[in-house]
Amino acid sequence: MLRATAALAAAPLAGCGLFDREDPERDDPLDPLLAATVRLAAEYDAVIAAQPALAERLTPLRDAHRAHAKALAQLIGRPASSLSASPVPSSPPGDPSAALAHLQAAEKAGQDQAAAACLAAPADRTALLGSITAARATHQEVLR
Amino acid sequence: MTTAAEVLAAEHAAIYAYGVIGAHLTGAAATAARDAEAAHRARRDALGRQVVAAGATPTPADPAYALPFPVTDQASALRLAVQTEERTGAVWRSALATTSGDERQAALDALVDCAIRATRFRRAAGVTPATVTFPGRPG
Repeated sequence: MLRATAALAAAPLAGCGLFDREDPERDDPLDPLLAATVRLAAEYDAVIAAQPALAERLTPLRDAHRAHAKALAQLIGRPASSLSASPVPSSPPGDPSAALAHLQAAEKAGQDQAAAACLAAPADRTALLGSITAARATHQEVLR
Repeated sequence: MTTAAEVLAAEHAAIYAYGVIGAHLTGAAATAARDAEAAHRARRDALGRQVVAAGATPTPADPAYALPFPVTDQASALRLAVQTEERTGAVWRSALATTSGDERQAALDALVDCAIRATRFRRAAGVTPATVTFPGRPG
């Protein structure tokens, strides 16, 4: 089903890259963004586990990153296994304000990465990438 | 296919909406509405120049626009501000696919700005969560 949807989305774009997307072994320019998005959700998991008092505020943002990862995986024809995170390399800061600043920096870097991907993308990918870019900007508002 | 003329029409409508919104807000919310209106005017002016540069005539604003619901107080004014930013952001988002280079950058900046303002007005209105998962996506 995932593969069929990806093929359908790619269909109007005859020409280079069309068949590449069908092959899960081939690299896609959005693979790094997908991996970073999964990692971003995992960063939130780590902070929520360490700071339960922040859970109510952070859970909708964590869920948004998960939804973005799912949409990206579907767009580029990656299996659900691409959505499981490797453990976050470093443990999050111990106090709440440092933890929020940590996430703020991660969101800013993530916004820049998504914006660059949006500017470089073919037309049929721009809407999702634009939404992801904008969502990360709004997350920084809520983390402030 | 979203054209500069369609985005221009959305910005005209947003500027009209802020005229109504601003009349029902005070304090920090009124300042935020004024700043939002100024931002939409700047986008409108840039779009107008772009349309002229392309050899066309920019469509002027309509004298009035139908509002989606009556605006009678601070709560309904904030609700219209949120909806105005959501709708304008959606038009900019669809313009991403029909632009490239500097024009796409401008459309992305506009989408981001609309999404941030929508979040600020949701917070001012006490809406939680103040964010949406896919800003600019219709429905």
